Amino acid sequence: MGNNQTIQALIVLISALPLAAAVLTAVLGPRWLRRWSHVPALVAIFVSFLCSLGLIQQIRSDDAGTVSVGFEEICTLWTWASVEDAYTQESDSSTTSGETTTQETHDFTIDVTLRADALTSAMLAMVTFVSFLVVFFAAGYMRDDPGYWRFFSYVALFVFSMTMLVSVSNLLLLYVFWEAVGVCSYLLIGFWYQKSSAAAAGKKAFLVNRVGDFGFALALLLIWSTYGTLNFHDTPAGPDSDASGYAASPTLDTDHELRGILGQTRLQDDDFAGGAVGTAICLLLLIGACGKSAQFPLHVWLPDAMEGPTPVSALIHAATMVTAGVYMVVRFSPLFLAAPAALVVVAAIGGFTALLAGLIALTQNDLKRVLAYSTISQLGFMFLAVGTGSLAGITAGMFHLLTHAFFKALLFLGAGSVMHAMGNVIDMRQFGGLRRLMPITHWTFLIGCLALSGIFPLAGFWSKDAVLGAVHDKIHELEHQQQESEFSAGQPSTAAVMLVSEASRPDATHQEPSPASFLKIYKLLYWVAVAAAFLTAFYTGRAYFMTFWGPLRIPQEAGNHAHESPFVMTIPLSVLALCAAVVGVAFVGLDFERPLAEQLQTNYFAEYIAGTPSLACDMVQATTAPGGFHFSVAALSTFVALAGIGLSGFFYLRCRKDVEWWTALASSWGVYQLSFRKFFIDEVYTLLIVLPLQFVASVCYWFDNCLIDGLVNFCGRIPVWCGGVLRSLQMGFVPFYAMFMVLGMLVLIAARMLWAGG
Amino acid sequence: MEMPTLLVATLFLPLGGAIFLALAPGLSQRMSRMVALLVATVTLVMAVFLMQGFPGNLEAGEVFAEAGGSWLRIASGSDIQFRVGLDGLSLWLFGLSSLLMLTAVLVSWEAIVERAALFYSMLLLLECGCLGVFAAQDIILFYIFFEFTLIPLFFLIGIWGSEDRRYAAIKFFLFTFTGSVLTFLGLLALVGWVYHESGRLTFSIAELTTCLQEGPLPFSWQVAVFLALFAGFAIKVPLFPLHTWLPLAHVQAPTAGSVILAGVLLKIGTYGFIRFSLPMLPAASAAFMPWILGLALVGIIYGALVALVQRDIKRLIAYSSVSHLGFCMLGMFSLNRLGLSGSVLQMINHGISTGALFALVGMLYERYHTREISQLGGLTRRLPILTFFMLIFTMSSIGLPGLNGFTGEILVLLGVFQRAWMGAPAGYFKVLILIAVLSVFGVVLGAWYMLWLVQRVFFGPLKEPPRTTDEQTITDLNFREILALAPLSLMVLWIGLQPSFFLRHIDPFLAPVVSIVQQNIDNDDTEPDRIADHTSQVEVDNLRNRNAFSQGDS
Repeated sequence: MGNNQTIQALIVLISALPLAAAVLTAVLGPRWLRRWSHVPALVAIFVSFLCSLGLIQQIRSDDAGTVSVGFEEICTLWTWASVEDAYTQESDSSTTSGETTTQETHDFTIDVTLRADALTSAMLAMVTFVSFLVVFFAAGYMRDDPGYWRFFSYVALFVFSMTMLVSVSNLLLLYVFWEAVGVCSYLLIGFWYQKSSAAAAGKKAFLVNRVGDFGFALALLLIWSTYGTLNFHDTPAGPDSDASGYAASPTLDTDHELRGILGQTRLQDDDFAGGAVGTAICLLLLIGACGKSAQFPLHVWLPDAMEGPTPVSALIHAATMVTAGVYMVVRFSPLFLAAPAALVVVAAIGGFTALLAGLIALTQNDLKRVLAYSTISQLGFMFLAVGTGSLAGITAGMFHLLTHAFFKALLFLGAGSVMHAMGNVIDMRQFGGLRRLMPITHWTFLIGCLALSGIFPLAGFWSKDAVLGAVHDKIHELEHQQQESEFSAGQPSTAAVMLVSEASRPDATHQEPSPASFLKIYKLLYWVAVAAAFLTAFYTGRAYFMTFWGPLRIPQEAGNHAHESPFVMTIPLSVLALCAAVVGVAFVGLDFERPLAEQLQTNYFAEYIAGTPSLACDMVQATTAPGGFHFSVAALSTFVALAGIGLSGFFYLRCRKDVEWWTALASSWGVYQLSFRKFFIDEVYTLLIVLPLQFVASVCYWFDNCLIDGLVNFCGRIPVWCGGVLRSLQMGFVPFYAMFMVLGMLVLIAARMLWAGG
Repeated sequence: MEMPTLLVATLFLPLGGAIFLALAPGLSQRMSRMVALLVATVTLVMAVFLMQGFPGNLEAGEVFAEAGGSWLRIASGSDIQFRVGLDGLSLWLFGLSSLLMLTAVLVSWEAIVERAALFYSMLLLLECGCLGVFAAQDIILFYIFFEFTLIPLFFLIGIWGSEDRRYAAIKFFLFTFTGSVLTFLGLLALVGWVYHESGRLTFSIAELTTCLQEGPLPFSWQVAVFLALFAGFAIKVPLFPLHTWLPLAHVQAPTAGSVILAGVLLKIGTYGFIRFSLPMLPAASAAFMPWILGLALVGIIYGALVALVQRDIKRLIAYSSVSHLGFCMLGMFSLNRLGLSGSVLQMINHGISTGALFALVGMLYERYHTREISQLGGLTRRLPILTFFMLIFTMSSIGLPGLNGFTGEILVLLGVFQRAWMGAPAGYFKVLILIAVLSVFGVVLGAWYMLWLVQRVFFGPLKEPPRTTDEQTITDLNFREILALAPLSLMVLWIGLQPSFFLRHIDPFLAPVVSIVQQNIDNDDTEPDRIADHTSQVEVDNLRNRNAFSQGDS
C-alpha cells in the first residue's frame, strides 16, 4: 500500500476545494465576482469529482487481500477536543487467570479524521458529480437573482459539508456535519427570505431535523457510554495515556489499541452490543436517519422544503442530503445486524413510508411536491432494502440510492426548467402540452420518469429490482430458517450445532425474536413495496402526462416568452438523462457463459460497495449475497410499472372528464381529501405537539411572572413588614426590654442544650 | 514586564481609568468614550499577553503570575492578603471579561449621551471588579471583588436603564446581595473550620482547599455551608427558581450593562461553585448532585419554554440565558471530567454568544427604538450585515456544530449521560437517565425559540415601526459596530473548530476537583445493573457515621 499518501491527499482535497470555493465566493462575490460567482464553485466541485474518481481508482487497485476486513485508509488532521481520562469502566476480563476486574480508563479524544473506503468513495463520487451538474444548471437558472453569489457560496458550503459527512471517521464529527448540511439546507430553503412561506419552511426543516438529531445525539451518548469511543476506526493508544497518575486506575498496557465502533478488530470479533442496549442504540440512530432522510413520522419537512430554489431541491432534497440517513444506516449495519428487532423497524418504516408518500403523491397538483413525495417514497425503498439486513439488501439500497440520485436530480432539474419557462408557476393544472415547446426538457423528463417507474433497461429498473429481490430473498431465508427450526425442534442435539454455526455472534442467544413473526412482516412489506412501485409509476405518469401532453396551455405569468431553456440548463439535463438511462446497465455484469436465468449474477457496484469494512466483515458477508436476479420479481415489477403508467395514460391522455368523475367519487368517500391533505399529519402535529407546547410555555410564563416573582416580591416585603412590627416594640418601656433579654437568653441556652443532647 | 506585575497592572488599569473619568471635571462624551476605549483596549492587550504567557504544563494547584502581599494582619502568620493569580479555570474567564468590556464600550459609543464620563467610569469599575473576582486568590479578596461588581452595575441599571430602571436596579441589588451575605457566612465558616482543625487562620483559597481536602468538614456541616454558598452562587447563575431578577435587570439595563451582566457576572456564580463548593465541600456536592441536576434541567426546559412566548427580544434572550446556564450547571454537577470541562467551555461560550446577542439587540434598538418582535420583520433587506452577525450568534447559541455553543453542550451532555449511565448514585439511575434524555430535548427547544425569533424579525416581508419624527434613514452596521462584534464571532469560530486549545488549560485544573468529588461518590456502587440493596445500606451507614462524627464533634 504505497499509495496511502495519494489517497490521503485526495480525500482532503475533495472536501477542501468546495470549502475554499465557498469562502472565496463569499468574500469576492458581492463586489468582484458578481455574474461570475458560479465559477469557483463549478471549478472546485469538478476537480473534487475528478479527485473522487481517482480515489475510487486507488481503492479499486488496492489489493484488499492483505486484510480480512475491507480496505480503509485513515487521515487525521487535527485534534478537535480532548479530555483526559474521561472514560472509566470496570470490565471483567476472564481471558487469563480467572475473573479479574480491571478498570479501563482512557481519554475522550476527538480527532478530525477522514476515512477513505468503498462506501465513502462511492458517495463522494455521486455527490460531487450531481453537485457539479446542478451548479452548472443553476448558473443558468439563477441568472437574474440578486443573491447570485450568496447562492453559490451556500451551495459550495453544502458540498463541503456533505463530502465531509460521508468521509469523517468519527461519530461526533458525523453529527457535526449532519447538522452542518442541515443548516445549509435551512439557509437554502429560506434563500428567498422575503417569502414568509420560505422562511417558515426553513425553520420547519431545521426543527424537524432537530427532533431527529435528538435521537442521533442520544444514540451518540449511548454509544459513548457503551463502547467508550466515538471513533469508527481503531486508534492506537497514545504513549502518554497513563501520564496523569492521580486516582488508582491501572491503565492497560500502552500499546493497547483503542477499538473503534467500526474498527477492524471489533469487526473481526463481531463484538457489538446486542440486547436492549444495542436495539436502543439502533432505534435512536434510526430516529436521526428518519429526520434527515424524511421518513415517517419525520417526513413533514421535505415537501415544504420545495420553497427553496429548484436546483437546491434537486441537489439537497433529492440526490444528496436526504440520502445521509441511508448512508448512516449502511455505515452502521454491523450494529443493526446485532439488533435484529431494530432492523425490522428500519424495514417497516421504509416500506410504510414508501406506501404513504406514494399515496399522497397521487393527488398533489404542485409538480415539485409530487417529486418531493416521490423522493420520500424512494427513500422508503432504500430503507426497506437496508432493513433486510442482508448484504444483498444493503447493496441494493446503496444501488437504489445511486440511481435515484441521477434520475431524481434529472426530474427536479426538468421541473426547474419547466418552472423557468412558465414564469415560476409550478401548479400542473395551469400548464400542459409542453412537449413541442420544450423538446429537450420533455425527452429528458420522459427518461427520468421511465427510470423512476422502473422500466427496462433504465437505471431504476435494476435498482428497484435489486431492492425487491433482496426482500424476496430475505423472505426465503426466513422461511428456510423457520423450516430448519421446526425440523430441528425434534432433534435438539443438531439444533444446538446448527445455532452455533448459523449465528456466529456470541451474544445472539439472548432474546432472539422468532423468525416467524419477522417472516410475516417481511412478506407484508414485499407486497407493500410492490404496491408502492405501482403508485410510483402511476403518479410519475400522471405528472408527465399533465405537464407535457394534452392541449398546449401556458400560464399568464410566463407572458409570451415561454421557450426551451438555454443550453446551460439543457446540457446538465442531457447528461443526467444519459446517466439515468445507462447507469443501471453499466453496473450489471452479464455472464453469457451461464444459462439465461443465471446470466445476471454480478453487480459491479454491489461488489465494490461490499468492500467497505462495515460490510466486508464476516458477520455481514455471511448473509445473502447480492446479485441474484429474479425473473419472477422483475416480471412482477415491470408489470406493475407498465400498469401504473398505462392507467395514468388512460386517465390523463384523454379528456379529463374521467379524472373528475373519479375524483368526485373518491371525495365522496373522503379518500381523496385524505391523500390531498397529506393524511392531515401536519395538522395532527400542530394539534398534538406545537399548540400544547406553546400552551405550556404560556403557563410557564404566567407561573414565572405571578407565582415565582410574586413569592420573591413577598419575601422582599417581609423585612419592611418586620420593621413595622419591631417599630411598635420600641416603646421605651425598660421592663419589656429586660423580659425579652431573659427570654432570648433562655432560648439560646435551650438551643445549646438541645444541640448537645440530640 | 514580569507576569505578576502585569497581572496587577491589568487589574488596576481599569480602576485608574474609572477614577480618572469620575474625577476629571467636565469631560465631554467624546473624550470620555475615547478614554474608556483606550483603557479597555490596553487592558485587553495586557490580558492577551498574560494568556499567551500562561504555561502549558501548569500543575494542578499551581497558580500563574501570582502576586500580592499582606493586606490586613489579624494575627502573626495569618493575614488577609491581597493575592492575585491565574489558573486554568480563571484564565479564560479573565480573558473573556476583558474582551467583552471592549464590546461594551463600543456598543455604548453613541447610545450613552447623558453623564457619559460617569457611565464609562462605572463600566471600568465593573471591569476591575470582574477581573478581580477571577484573579483573587484570597477568600476575603474574592468576596470584596464579588460584592464590588454589584455596585457599578446597580448604578448602570439605575441611572442609564429604561423606564422601569429603579425597580429593576433595587430588585437586582437586594436579590443578589441577600444571597451573597449568606455566601459570606459560608466562606467564613470554611475559614473557621480550618482554624478549628489545624489551628491556622488562613484566608488563602489554595491553602483552604488543601486543608479542607485533608480534613474535610463533617457531612452535616458540609451541607449547611454548601447551602449558604449555594444561596449566593445560585442566585448569581441564576438557577431556577432564583432567576426572576435576571429578565427584569436585562430588559432595563443599558446594552453595555446587559452584555457584561450576561457575559461575565452570571459566570461568577458558576465560577464560585467550581472554585469553592466542589473542591471544598465534595461530600455535600456529591449528595446534592441529583437535586441540582434536576433544578438545572428544569431551568433548561423552563427557560426555553418561557423564551418561546416572549414578545420582547431582550427578554427572550434573557430567558435563553436561564436555559444555557442550566446546561452549565448540568455539566458541572455531572461531577466528571467531560461534564465539568463542558461546563467551563459553556461559561465562555455563553458569555460570547449571549453577550453578542445583547449587543445586537442594542444595535437594533438604537435604530428602531423598539424591541417588540411584532413590530419588526424582514429586516434582512434593510440590515444585511446585522442579520449576518445575528445568524452567526443564533447558530452559536442553538449549538450548531462547528461553532462554539456545540462544543460546550456536547461535552455537558456526554458528561451528564456518563454520570447517569455509569455513575449514578444508588437509586438515582432512572431519574438521572430521565434528566439526561430531557436535557437533550432542551437542545431542540433552544433551536425553536431562536429560529422563530430570527424568522419573525429578519425574514419575511419588510416591516418597520412607524418612523419617528426626524425620519432618519436606517443604516446598516457601521465600522465601529462591526468592530464590536467581529472579535466575538472569531472566538465563536475558534472555540467551535478547535476547543482542544481551550480545554488543554481547563482540563488539568479540573482533574483534582473531579477526583476529590469522585471519591465521595465512589462509596456507592456505580454499575447501573448492579444496583442492589446493599449499596443503599452502605450509604445509610456512611451517613450515619458522618452524622455521629459531626455530633460528637460539637
